[in-house]
Amino acid sequence: MCGIIGYTPAQTESQPNRDILDVLLDGLSDLEYRGYDSAGVAITNSSVSVYKRNGELSELEATVPDGSVGGYAGIGHTRWSTHGPPSDENAHPHTDCNGSVAVVHNGIIENYRELREELAAAGHEFDSQTDTEVIPHLIETSLDQGADVEMAFRRAIDRLEGSFAVAAVFSGSEAVYATRNQSPLVLGIGEDGYHLASDVPAFLDHTDQVVYLQDDQFAKLCPSGVEITDKRETLVDMPVKTVEWDPEEAGKSGYDHYMLKEINEQPRAIRNCVRGRVDEMTGSVSIKELDDLDRPERIHLVACGTSYHASLYAARLFRNGGIPATTFYASEYDASAVPIDEKTLVIGVTQSGETADTLGALRAANNERAETLTVTNVVGSSASRETDHVMYIRAGPEISVAATKTFASQQVALAMLSSTLTGECSHKFVEGLRALPGQIQSILDSSPAKEIVDTYANSDAYFFIGRGYGAPVALEGALKMKEITYKHAEGFPGGELKHGPLALVTDRTPVVAIVSGKSNAEKMIGNVKEVEAREAPVITVTDSSDTAENYADHLLRIPDTACQFTPILANVQLQLLAYWTANQLGRSIDKPRNLAKSVTVE
Amino acid sequence: MPDYSAIVLAAGEGVRLRPLTRNRPKPMLPAATRPILEHVFDQLIDAGIDEIVAVVGYRSDRVQSHFGPTYRNVPITYVSQEKQLGTGHALLAAESTVDETCLVINGDQIVDSRIVRDTIAGHEPDSAATLALLQRSSLEEYGGVVVDDGRVTDIVENPRDDREYFLNAGVYVLEPAMFDAVGGAEPRAGEHHLVDGLSTLIDSGETVRGVVSDGVWVDATYPWDLLDVSFELFDAGIVDGAQTQSGSPGASVHDSAVIREPVVVDQDCVVKPGAVVGPYVCLGENATVGSNAVVERSVVDADTRIEANATAIECVTGVGATIGPGSIIPGGPGDVRVEDRIFEDESLGALLADRVTDRGGVTYVPGSIVGPDVDVHPGTTVRGTIAEGTEVRS
Repeated sequence: MCGIIGYTPAQTESQPNRDILDVLLDGLSDLEYRGYDSAGVAITNSSVSVYKRNGELSELEATVPDGSVGGYAGIGHTRWSTHGPPSDENAHPHTDCNGSVAVVHNGIIENYRELREELAAAGHEFDSQTDTEVIPHLIETSLDQGADVEMAFRRAIDRLEGSFAVAAVFSGSEAVYATRNQSPLVLGIGEDGYHLASDVPAFLDHTDQVVYLQDDQFAKLCPSGVEITDKRETLVDMPVKTVEWDPEEAGKSGYDHYMLKEINEQPRAIRNCVRGRVDEMTGSVSIKELDDLDRPERIHLVACGTSYHASLYAARLFRNGGIPATTFYASEYDASAVPIDEKTLVIGVTQSGETADTLGALRAANNERAETLTVTNVVGSSASRETDHVMYIRAGPEISVAATKTFASQQVALAMLSSTLTGECSHKFVEGLRALPGQIQSILDSSPAKEIVDTYANSDAYFFIGRGYGAPVALEGALKMKEITYKHAEGFPGGELKHGPLALVTDRTPVVAIVSGKSNAEKMIGNVKEVEAREAPVITVTDSSDTAENYADHLLRIPDTACQFTPILANVQLQLLAYWTANQLGRSIDKPRNLAKSVTVE
Repeated sequence: MPDYSAIVLAAGEGVRLRPLTRNRPKPMLPAATRPILEHVFDQLIDAGIDEIVAVVGYRSDRVQSHFGPTYRNVPITYVSQEKQLGTGHALLAAESTVDETCLVINGDQIVDSRIVRDTIAGHEPDSAATLALLQRSSLEEYGGVVVDDGRVTDIVENPRDDREYFLNAGVYVLEPAMFDAVGGAEPRAGEHHLVDGLSTLIDSGETVRGVVSDGVWVDATYPWDLLDVSFELFDAGIVDGAQTQSGSPGASVHDSAVIREPVVVDQDCVVKPGAVVGPYVCLGENATVGSNAVVERSVVDADTRIEANATAIECVTGVGATIGPGSIIPGGPGDVRVEDRIFEDESLGALLADRVTDRGGVTYVPGSIVGPDVDVHPGTTVRGTIAEGTEVRS
C-alpha cells in the first residue's frame, strides 16, 4: 500500500540535473492516494543522497534542498505503514550500512524476520523496523562478495518471499534497477527520460508511452534506454502501450474535492460504461469482450470494501435470473473449502485491479480451475491480466480515496453482465439503463442533501437501512459516511434492525432509510416506524413520495425507475449526504486518515 | 501571434432563456447538439488560444463537469464569481489569473475564430483595449459602438438614435490597465459592466481600438432563438449536417428511418424504424426517436425521448424530456408569452424544458412553453406558458 517511483534522465548534453528532484516530487504527489504517512527520495551521483520525512509530502518538500541536487538518477516513495509506525526512520528509501545503495519498496516481504536475523548476525546494522531494509543490506552483502550492482540486485531479490515492487539506485551508477512480484510496477518511456512507478498517473505529465512490467522481470533504466530482462537475464521485448487517459483529468477542475468532482462525473461515467453495449431496438445487451463467456452453473463474486457492496447487488441480480450466486469478502475466500469447479465463474470486482486480497482470491480460483473474470476500471492491471476474462467499467481515473463514480459504474457494468449471462433482458431494461445518466443528473441538480446536513452533522452515529436491492446500498451508504466523516455509521438490511442494532437507536442517531415504492415499501415503513418510536430522526431516500412522506423528517427524492436500478440512484443521495456531512465537519475528504486508494497488501 | 490566455465569461444564467436555464447557465444550452460554450472554446482554440480561464457562477458544476480540467488539450482554469453582478464584475474575478495582455470573450455567444484572430491582429501595443465590431442592421438588443478612424469614440447599450453604430461582438483584447478601469467605473443598477470600463478608458484619453470583422456571430436571446442559432451553424458549415450515416459512437439509426439532411445525430442516439428526421434537426446525446415519429426543424436535447408516432416540428426541448406516443407539436408560427410580453408569430411549435413528461396523445398549441418537470396527462391540449412542476390534466 505504498507508491514507488523512479527516474533516469535521457542522455543529452544540456539536461539539467535538478530536474530529477522535481520529477520525483511531482510524481509522488500523483501517487499520494496510495498512502501518505511518510515520503522520501534518493538521488545518486558519486554518493547517494537520501531525503525522507514522516508526514504528508509537503513535509518532505520542506526538507529537500532549495537549489539544485546534482545527480544521475533517483527514486522516491510515499508510504502507508505496514511494518513499523510512521516515522522518519521508517520512511523509504532505505540504505545499506555504507549508504551506497538506496531502495524503495511496495508490498510485503514475508521472510524478512529470518533475513534480518541472518544479516544482523553478520554485523549489519538496521535503522528502521521495516521489512524493506533487509533489501539494501542483502545487496551490500553481494557487493562485498564482489558482485556488480546488477548481479547484487538480482541476488538480493532472489532471497525475498512475498509480494513486492522494488527499485534501487547505487552510488556512482547512472541506472535505476527495478523488479516486481505481485505488486504493480509500470515503466514510462519519455523523451526526457525513463520513468517507473506503481501507477501511471505518476509520470503521465511526461509520457503516455508505458510498458507494464510482468512478475519476475527486471528493468534497468539507463540514460541510453530501458532494458528489460527475465529471471535468467535474457532480454525481453515488451510491448509499449499508449495510455489514453488525459493527464490533466487528474485535476480538480474547480471543485473543492475530487470526491465531489467524481460524484458529478457519474452521468458521464455511466454513459461511457453503457455505450455500444446496449441496443434498445432489439432490447438486448451485449458485451463484446465477453462473447466467449457462457452461462455458468454458479457464480462466486470476490471483492473488498465498496466493490464488495457492488458484488452483493450483483449476486442478487444473478440469483433473480436463476444463477446461484454468492458474494465473498476476498480476504475470506477459501477456494478449497467451497464447491468450485470449471463450471463455476469466479468474478473479481476491483476498481484498481491491484487489490491484493482480490488478486489472492482470483489466483486461488484459477488454481481450482474455475473460470475467472475481472470487472475493473484499470486497463492492463494485474487482475485483468491474470483472469480468463475481463470487463472494463470505463469510469475514468478516480482520485478520491472514497469510491463514488466507480461504484456506480460497477453496479451498471454488473447489471449488464447479469443480463447477458442470465438472458434476462427486455426493452424496459435497456430503456432503464439509457435513462440512468439523465436521472443521476437530475438528482445532482436538485438534491437537498447539502441543506439538511446542518441538522445532523453532530450526531452520535448514523444507521442506514434498506431491503432487497436496497440492502447493499445501505451498507455502502454507511461505509461512505464512516470513511470520510470518521463518524460511526452502520448499514443493515431493514429486517435485521430489530434483531440487535435497534438497541443503539436514540434521538441522536439519524436513520437513513431507502424506501422504494416498487418493492418492500410497506415492510420498510414498518422499520421506519420502529426507529421513530425511539425518537430517531429519519431521512428517507425514496422514489415514491406518497407512501414515505408521512414517516420522514427529510426526504431525498430519486426518479422512478425499474427496481433493479433504484439502488444506483439512491446511492447518489447517500454519497451527497456523506460528502456534505464530512465537509461540514471539515474532514480531509479526498484523503481520509488511515486509508489508501488501492490496497495492495493482504 | 502572441500567446494570449482567454478569459471566458460563463457565469450568468441568461434569464431571458428561462425556463431552459433551470438547471444550467446559458453557455451550457445546446447550439446544435453541443453547449454554446463548447463552440466558443472550439473557435478560441482554432484561433490559437492555448490557455482558457472560465469565469463560472450560476450552476457552475454543470460547466466544470462537462469540460473538466482540459478541453482539446488546452488547460482550463475555473474562477468563481459567486454573485453575478455584471460582466465587469466577472472580469475582476479573473484578475489574479492574468498579468499581461489577455483576450476576453462572452461565453454565451458563438463567435467565428476569424473574428478572434482579427481582433488579436488589430491590437496595437499603444492601445489599452481593442474590441471586435460587426456590421449589423439591427442592434437594439445589443451594444452599439461608434468608431472614428479605427478608434472607438462612444459605446452605447441598446442604441436607438440614427448614428452609424457597429455591433459589439463581445470579443476584447485588454491590457492590464483595464482591470483598474472596470473596478473604478460607477456600477449601474448594482452591476459592473465591462463596457463601462472601456468608456472610462476612452474618457481618460486612452486609445481603444475597434476592429471591424466579419464571420459567423450568433446569439440566442430567447429560448426559440436556439432553433435559428443551430440552423445557422448548419448553414455556415460549423456543424456538419451530413454525417449522420457514418454514425456517432454508440448511435443507431434503423435502416427504414428517413434522415433528411441537414441533421446531426449525437452519440448513443436511437432512431427507430420508419421515423422521419429532418431537415434541420439536432438530436442531442442519447436522444430517442420512436417508430414512425416525425421530427422537423427542431433542437432535441440529451436524453429526450420522442415516442412512436409523435410529431415534433419547430420544437425545442431541454434534457430528459419525453414527447409521448402520438403527441403533436404542429410547428409555428405562434404567439409566445414571456412574463408580461407577448411575442407574436414566432416560429416555435413548443418548448419543453428539462424532464417534462408528456404521456401521449397531447396536442400543443403553437408557441406553448412548458416548464421543467411538468407532467402532462394523456389526451390534453397544452397552450400558453405552464409553470414548473405543474400537472396538466384535461
